[in-house]
Amino acid sequence: MKKTLFAAALFATAAMGALAPASAAPVTYKIDPAHLSVAFIVNHVGFSNVIGRFNTAAGDVTFDKDAVEKSAVNVSIDTASVDTNHAKRDDHLRSPDFFNAKEFPKLTFKSSKIEKTGAKTGKLYGDLTMLGVTKPVVLDVTFNNEGVSPASKLETVGFSARGTVKRTDFGMKYGAPAIGDEIQLLIEAEAVKA
Amino acid sequence: MSNLLHDPFVQSSVLPLLLGLVAVGVLHRLAPGRLLAVAGIGATFLAVFALVVGVPALPPPSSMGKVFWSVAGGFVLGVVADAVGVKGRAGSLLAAAWLAASLVWIALPALDTPVAFATLLVLLLVGACVVFGRTGSDDGQRGNAVAPAAVLLALALAVGGTALIGSSASIAQMALALAAATGGFLLWNWPVERHGWGVSGRVASGIAVLLAGVLALFTQTEAAVLLLALPALLAERVGRRLPLPDSGLGRAAGGAVVTVLTVLPALIAIGVAYLLGGAEASPY
Repeated sequence: MKKTLFAAALFATAAMGALAPASAAPVTYKIDPAHLSVAFIVNHVGFSNVIGRFNTAAGDVTFDKDAVEKSAVNVSIDTASVDTNHAKRDDHLRSPDFFNAKEFPKLTFKSSKIEKTGAKTGKLYGDLTMLGVTKPVVLDVTFNNEGVSPASKLETVGFSARGTVKRTDFGMKYGAPAIGDEIQLLIEAEAVKA
Repeated sequence: MSNLLHDPFVQSSVLPLLLGLVAVGVLHRLAPGRLLAVAGIGATFLAVFALVVGVPALPPPSSMGKVFWSVAGGFVLGVVADAVGVKGRAGSLLAAAWLAASLVWIALPALDTPVAFATLLVLLLVGACVVFGRTGSDDGQRGNAVAPAAVLLALALAVGGTALIGSSASIAQMALALAAATGGFLLWNWPVERHGWGVSGRVASGIAVLLAGVLALFTQTEAAVLLLALPALLAERVGRRLPLPDSGLGRAAGGAVVTVLTVLPALIAIGVAYLLGGAEASPY
């Protein structure tokens, strides 16, 4: 009798486990600085668009492949690492006219919500903090790949993000609108399992 | 008209010169005595700042915002002190206290290295020289403003020119606007010196030191070249030693000569900044 009850309980437990939806725990990944590109495009007095980038950034991704909306992204960018391929202009971008790098050495993004819009696409909602001002931003994100990278042999997740912010919303008013107010953001990132 | 007002050259030269002329003229008409007219320089600076940079939030998140609110506070302090008749050493002490508090407030986020502390110390010393500098008679009974105004003109030009070369455009614009507003004041005092310098004048001089502080502490500009402009502080002594007759013509010539001689060290500082910056003429 005892054996029968034990077998029934074991069966019931196993059955419940089988019926429950498969749910992998979110995995934390660290953004690989060698495969992180944070670039921006800004209009220059109507004649062309200047492309710049930040060379130093760090961050982490908490990725849940079975429930992408539960994932999260935190990125911190060194504003002094701004690079537009022109030393004098970069000095100006570091000055109080623009990024004010000495007073505000970091530019941060912290996600608040991810909304799935397709098999590999989504909207990444979060707070961007620049010049001491925090504003909500939305990025269109594409989850490119997930798995063991053939290059590094490490568990890797890769994504691309695109979005637009208005710099004057953050108090960066110098030269606007001749030097574009709307800044296009282009982010390409790989993150490896921590 | 709107396009004209947004032209950086107009914003930092013609506009503040005209605003300075008008503000000094209005205060000259409205305020009794000779001391309040110089407050037109501070008023013009604040107006141009609001146009070029915008009115910063309170509490200000950045050093430039702190400059605006420091100047606003100093402007009120100077006007009140001059209106109630604070003069002499008491006026200098008041302006010195304002300038020291403003400099420390602005510098605080940058005080993370011995070099930054040394820079603040130099700024405080220069600030003391500026606000305690001799301005001739300080009784407000006769004009004595050309020499200290020439010092302010020189310091503002030095900061503006150096900032422009060092790629700090808004600091450059504001410093050049300060120089232009001072030019407007000087025009009111030539060929006849009409106004005194008072606490408002000492506060106006302090604005150049505050801008130099932002330039030195928060940008990569070679701000040390500004030390080359410091002989400008000797303007009043130079004026007293000029071998000119004590007549209307002599005083008019003296005012012009003092202004030109005082500006020379500023031009040298700008020239050295230009050479140190790789003598790059083209913008980007």
